Amino acid sequence: MNAWAGYAALIGLFTVTAGIGFYGLRISRTTEDFYVASRTVRPWWNASAIGGEYLSAASYLGVAGLILISGSDALWFPIGYTAGYLMLLLFVAAPLRRSGAYTIPDFTEARLESVAARRVTSALVVMVGWFYIVPQLHGAALTMSIATGLPSWVGSVAVAVVVCVTVVTGGMRSITFVQAFQFWLKFTAIALPIVLILIIMGNSGLSVAAVAEPFASAPATSPVADAYRDISLVVALLFGTLGLPHVLVRFYTNPDGPSARRTTLIVIGLLSVFYLFPTVYGVLGRAFTPDIATGGTPDALVLLLPGRLLPGPAGDVLTALVIAGAFAAFLSTTSGLVVSIAGVISQDVLGGRVLGFRVAAVFSTLVPLGVALLTDSMQLAGSVGLVFAFTASTICPLLLLGIWWRGLTDAGAIAGMLAGAALCGGAIVAGRVLGPLAGPGQELLAQPAAWTVPAAFAVMVGVSLLTRGRRPGGITKIMTRLHAPERQLPAPTR
Amino acid sequence: MTPEPPTEAGPGAPIPPRRVRVTAPIAQARRAPGRPVVGEVAELSEVGQVYVRSLIRSQLLLAVVVAVGFLLILLAFPLLIAYVPGLDQAEFLGVPFSWLALGVGVYPIILLSAWLHVRAAARNEARYLALVDGA
Repeated sequence: MNAWAGYAALIGLFTVTAGIGFYGLRISRTTEDFYVASRTVRPWWNASAIGGEYLSAASYLGVAGLILISGSDALWFPIGYTAGYLMLLLFVAAPLRRSGAYTIPDFTEARLESVAARRVTSALVVMVGWFYIVPQLHGAALTMSIATGLPSWVGSVAVAVVVCVTVVTGGMRSITFVQAFQFWLKFTAIALPIVLILIIMGNSGLSVAAVAEPFASAPATSPVADAYRDISLVVALLFGTLGLPHVLVRFYTNPDGPSARRTTLIVIGLLSVFYLFPTVYGVLGRAFTPDIATGGTPDALVLLLPGRLLPGPAGDVLTALVIAGAFAAFLSTTSGLVVSIAGVISQDVLGGRVLGFRVAAVFSTLVPLGVALLTDSMQLAGSVGLVFAFTASTICPLLLLGIWWRGLTDAGAIAGMLAGAALCGGAIVAGRVLGPLAGPGQELLAQPAAWTVPAAFAVMVGVSLLTRGRRPGGITKIMTRLHAPERQLPAPTR
Repeated sequence: MTPEPPTEAGPGAPIPPRRVRVTAPIAQARRAPGRPVVGEVAELSEVGQVYVRSLIRSQLLLAVVVAVGFLLILLAFPLLIAYVPGLDQAEFLGVPFSWLALGVGVYPIILLSAWLHVRAAARNEARYLALVDGA
């Protein structure tokens, strides 16, 4: 691949992003604008911004790579990533918006009236965020080495530095414009090449011949283990989306509960269309370039396919576009996560000052960068799937029970979150350490959500029932606030 | 959220409004805007709480019904493929049924479930408001 395509893509992306960030910053310059922004962001913009932050390395590169390797089983990943928003809509969106909480720890403190529960939630949110950033940096390393031929650590460091600088200077913080732009960039970058390729295939045929049957199914090893793995994965993805810290922050910019629901509906529509494209990449990759899977970097399929199928300058231009989209995915997800983690750390540890936020932002970029440089890249979609399993076992029960059950107490919430974290984290670590030694338990450890999520719920409910006396005094008021609809008032004149 | 960083007003800009510190901890947050005190007091009365509880119950029931319905349909796809003979081999435009069902067919169902829920949840809320404000 031509290195100039890679450099052009990166420079173009950074320039345009910085430009839009600067433009957005100029628009929202007064405190007045800052407040009003929360009421004037339309659901379409907001939904694009949520999509921009949500579509990470796993969606952009990982899904196609996984389909390339494992065929139709991998189709459960995009289904779970999308249906997670259905669960978010059904159980969380409107009540959480009405709670007025900006972060998950804020919600915990308001609902349980307990600082201890807040601290535990904060620690978990920070852990989830860090584990989620690591695969983004791995994806950046892979993309950078393919795009430019530079050593792969350059990619991780570049993304970390760009995110750090933009978050610390405030250029990209919480600006809906930038994230919405990133969504449509990713969408164009992944859709345009594949649409062109399909048109060329339909008209004149490609110069590259198909070498394999794309829909061949992998020989089933064990039906029970396969079914367990798929079910456990879907549980993790469905319930993990509820608790992602950077997604929740975006709901705050909806003016009220009903618009939070409309926004989620639009997000589901956007994701449904987006995920068709990685699927087509996977199918075409299975037909035309199965050697990418055996070459050891299946996650690079989206980056390599346009150039392989359309040699020459057209292929180079499309490759540059795809690379820009990939970096948009790493940058938007990472900066969204860094903002939420830094917000939590600076509030809970450093007193909530601007300086504290900046220190926390640097700190919360450096930790995952260190982890990413020290560890080997796993399958992107798979490692993000494990983060979802962890979120589903810790933060999801807290949100669901906190919103819908008066009986949740601070002791129950803390016990449930710690139990879920210990079981799920322990299972993942044990699965990695033991490997095939775990024998029949290997599947249970590798994909733990199906049993750790119910266990976390059970502990949370059980301990709450044992500590009835600790129910918060203001529970009636809190539940009313979460669920009673806003009244339509004439807009205040300013 | 942390405060917005100071931005410089351009020359000739009107006098900038006084900056207000924006804080996140909910303990310090004010009441939600747009909710009149009268309505809130009515909701917190004993009669009001009957309505609130029934609203929460109906919203939870709605969410659970939609979720269970969706999950059953989702579960039906692999079961159909596994147990209906010949379905796995069935093709449309050269694409096997299992790929079409999982790669394309699930998404309209997700969207339809979401749309039905948004409508029904709004209807529950409208009914609640009519009850409380009419009472």
